[in-house]
Amino acid sequence: MKRLLIIFTLLLSNIFVNAQDTNKKKDSIIALDEVELITVIKKKIETEMKMAVSVDEFLASSDNISFIKRGAYAWEPLLNNMSSERSTITIDGMHVFGACTDKMDPITSYVESNNLAAIDIKSGQEGNMHGATVAGSIDLKRRSTPFSLTKKWKGAYQTGFEINNKQFFNLANASYSSNKFVADGSLAYRKAENYSDGNNDEVNHSQFTKFNASLGLAYKTSELSSLKVEAIYDQANDVGYPALPMDLWLSRALITSATYKQLFENGLFKALDTKIYFNAIEHYMDDTTRPENLVHMDMPGWSTTYGLLSKANIKKNRFSSEIQLNAYNNYSIAEMRMYPQDRSERTMFAYSWPGVTTTFAGLSINNAWEISDQSLLNFGGSLGVNYNHSKYVEFNWIFHPGTPQEKTRILPSLHAGYQLNIDNFNFSVGGGYGHRAPSVSEGYGYYIYNSFDRYDYIGNPDLENEISYEGNASAGYANDKFSLQANVNYFYIENYIIGRILSLGSPMNYQSIGVKGYTSLDYSTLFNFSLNGSYSILDNLHWKGTLTYARGKDENENNLPFIRPLSYQTSLHYQYNKLSFQTSINGDLEQIHYSPEYGEDQTPSYTIWNLSADYTFKIKDYKTVVQVGAENVLNEYYSTYADWGNIPRMGRNIFTSLKFNF
Amino acid sequence: MKKISFFMTAMLFAVTACTLDKTDYEDEINTVVTEYIDYEEVVSITKDQYLINIVALNGTFYKGYNEIRLNITNTDTNENVNTSDVTFLPLITNYSGNSTSCPHQYNLDYNTADDYYLGYAVFTEESNDSENWELYITFTDNEETHYVTQAITVEEQTNMNLNMTSFTADDGEQYFIALVAPQKPAIAENELVAGIYKYNQPTNEAGTFPDPTQFSYTEVTDYTLLLDPRMPEPSMGNHSSLNNEDLTQQDDGLYYGVVNYTMTGNWTLNFRMQNQYGEIIKGTEVSTEFTPGIEGARSELHIDILF
Repeated sequence: MKRLLIIFTLLLSNIFVNAQDTNKKKDSIIALDEVELITVIKKKIETEMKMAVSVDEFLASSDNISFIKRGAYAWEPLLNNMSSERSTITIDGMHVFGACTDKMDPITSYVESNNLAAIDIKSGQEGNMHGATVAGSIDLKRRSTPFSLTKKWKGAYQTGFEINNKQFFNLANASYSSNKFVADGSLAYRKAENYSDGNNDEVNHSQFTKFNASLGLAYKTSELSSLKVEAIYDQANDVGYPALPMDLWLSRALITSATYKQLFENGLFKALDTKIYFNAIEHYMDDTTRPENLVHMDMPGWSTTYGLLSKANIKKNRFSSEIQLNAYNNYSIAEMRMYPQDRSERTMFAYSWPGVTTTFAGLSINNAWEISDQSLLNFGGSLGVNYNHSKYVEFNWIFHPGTPQEKTRILPSLHAGYQLNIDNFNFSVGGGYGHRAPSVSEGYGYYIYNSFDRYDYIGNPDLENEISYEGNASAGYANDKFSLQANVNYFYIENYIIGRILSLGSPMNYQSIGVKGYTSLDYSTLFNFSLNGSYSILDNLHWKGTLTYARGKDENENNLPFIRPLSYQTSLHYQYNKLSFQTSINGDLEQIHYSPEYGEDQTPSYTIWNLSADYTFKIKDYKTVVQVGAENVLNEYYSTYADWGNIPRMGRNIFTSLKFNF
Repeated sequence: MKKISFFMTAMLFAVTACTLDKTDYEDEINTVVTEYIDYEEVVSITKDQYLINIVALNGTFYKGYNEIRLNITNTDTNENVNTSDVTFLPLITNYSGNSTSCPHQYNLDYNTADDYYLGYAVFTEESNDSENWELYITFTDNEETHYVTQAITVEEQTNMNLNMTSFTADDGEQYFIALVAPQKPAIAENELVAGIYKYNQPTNEAGTFPDPTQFSYTEVTDYTLLLDPRMPEPSMGNHSSLNNEDLTQQDDGLYYGVVNYTMTGNWTLNFRMQNQYGEIIKGTEVSTEFTPGIEGARSELHIDILF
């Protein structure tokens, strides 16, 4: 991830160096365009295997992301083998918080691949730009078309069908750009039925329907400034979660922002970018589709966030720096209502999030100093204030009598890294230190049922900040034909927050077997390792391979849950004129270090083989790509270490898609 | 630009309106429970030159615990009578003419701060066609004792949080437990207040009716009411709460403890009554097992509440 930062810094410096050299003649419009371009130079939202991917599938192709899956939809991304409350997940730097107490709506479920340009993943404290974190940050970069000197229309339409779960999808996006005005829009609709596992058995309650639309309008207010308003609307209906006792009836998200960008031709400051944003999420779970349930129950949740984000870029000679102010206010409230067997009787009601306000304000700074052409020093830090308020604090008093209604925390963070490039070799070493505040569920959750270990979870407002000390290093070699890169990181996390069985209280949800309270372990440790290699066997035949390993232990040397076992991926890519073929094999070894204490059982090894082929041609002047492929060709029956309730993954899936660009 | 911002604002309003409304927490708690805060006149009695006002919550006597406030005014002088010894005896008479009473405070206390006589009655029955309650009140003024009798109506207590129970304990005595507070519980830690009373068997022959020695009740002292609240609904699997505290007697004679309700709905307060010698004289220990699908077994001594 350091590489991304270098690229970013280098690009930024190049642009400004170039701009400064030539801007006497060049139109300043160009400068604005080029800054806009920075965000575009990132990975395309498609994987090697598949060009029409969901956001989840795309994230899964990253080394340090793994997923907890509760079905076919809305996977929870784990960064560096840590659960999502340990990372900051943002959309263009905007904080959005899911409204589901069971984490059934990670932020990644509210965007669609055709309204994103790239996903920026930063590991550990380097990811502190958007707020306090332990694991790192995942920033979903929205598609953003630059201003152009001539009027331009651009667009793409993609459609496809996946046979296994009869998923039919239509994705369309279009943009218009001119000298003064830019409009970006996208529409997406996906509908899938239940999928079948490797034994060809249908996995009930795994269907979903998703609609997503986005619109962005930018207006150039002067030669060096622009104003942009953007909105994303996302709606999911009838989403099944086979690993849970209930399903989603409806979720809706509205994510809006207005951004003002100012560039400076001269002086220390190069760019100033200020955004105000608002987003509202509603998420309604119930179990009307599960007549076998003993209790009928509704679990609606709402989350509303207002925020401000202001970023300044500074550049002087070989030193560049990025300063960001983040402020947001979130209100999360979630309810549960249980219906007695005799429906005429009084329903049973409680809040699972008793109206919790989180207000955060923080200042982050990241600096890059090019010591020489070969070496670069990155260092930075952030300081944040996190304030929580529980509206119905009496709910928290049941388990934590007398705990204060409000809590303010100071969240510092520091990191530094050094990178060295000598000929074809590159090395890096770095370290970080940072705090994070407990999430709403960890701090204020009330009888939140976790169907993985089957416990009801209770938050603890008095939890200490989680404090992370991390070290990381990488070494690599690359030439024209061959590359090999190894990355390691190690986290020592004080006050590691995890659920522990409480001897107090009794379960509220009839499926659960007990009550767990969020408590702090003295410490826990996490180690991640990845090895990436690539080799160009022929000019048109390429090989890539990845190996990852992770180990997580608590203070008593017991295993932490959701740590990925040794996993591998290897792929071949062959290009013949306009035809290209891909094949890949990936899998996990047997999970040796599982954690029965946290509800895990041992997951056996599995290997999956995938195949795909695509052909590019032109219909009139439109570039068209058609793709056919198969995932899990051998129809292996498997589930991974992170599949909730060991629900089986999809069996053989043949997919087709067609994409027009105009 | 203006059009765009107008469009954006319109869209914002259109899309941010929630599909389902959030629960109004206050309304939710009020759905089955009405809380009365105001003391209003239940009955006023004119006896010679005296006007006697009896005041209770919501101007109504309910089955269960009732705090009673009584005012006596001399209408000749328009002065409050405040030096009197006031006695208060509620009696219920059935169709065959037999009278019984209920736990009550016989000698009322004078509250100097607010100028009224204070007592209580725990009505054990509602008034019905064949059984009627009457109050027998005496007071002295100018060294003359006045006797007043007044028929009253006792209504059904619809708030289950003020329920009561009566039983014979293992010591052969007749006991009454009446809930006093909270009227309107919350999903929270609630202070639970109850009165525990005992019927004193008369030791002498009955004198002139109404002879108070035949209808004597006392607050029991130094008992402990062991508490285990649970939700009986089968789907709740015998769910309970934590940090509850057993009820012990405080200076005002009532018993105070703590009950935590984790959600709204039906709850059973399972009790075991322990006397001053530490002996359990009524009530059985209930299972702490989590039993989804099976209605929770209650203690033989319990009161059901609902909020």
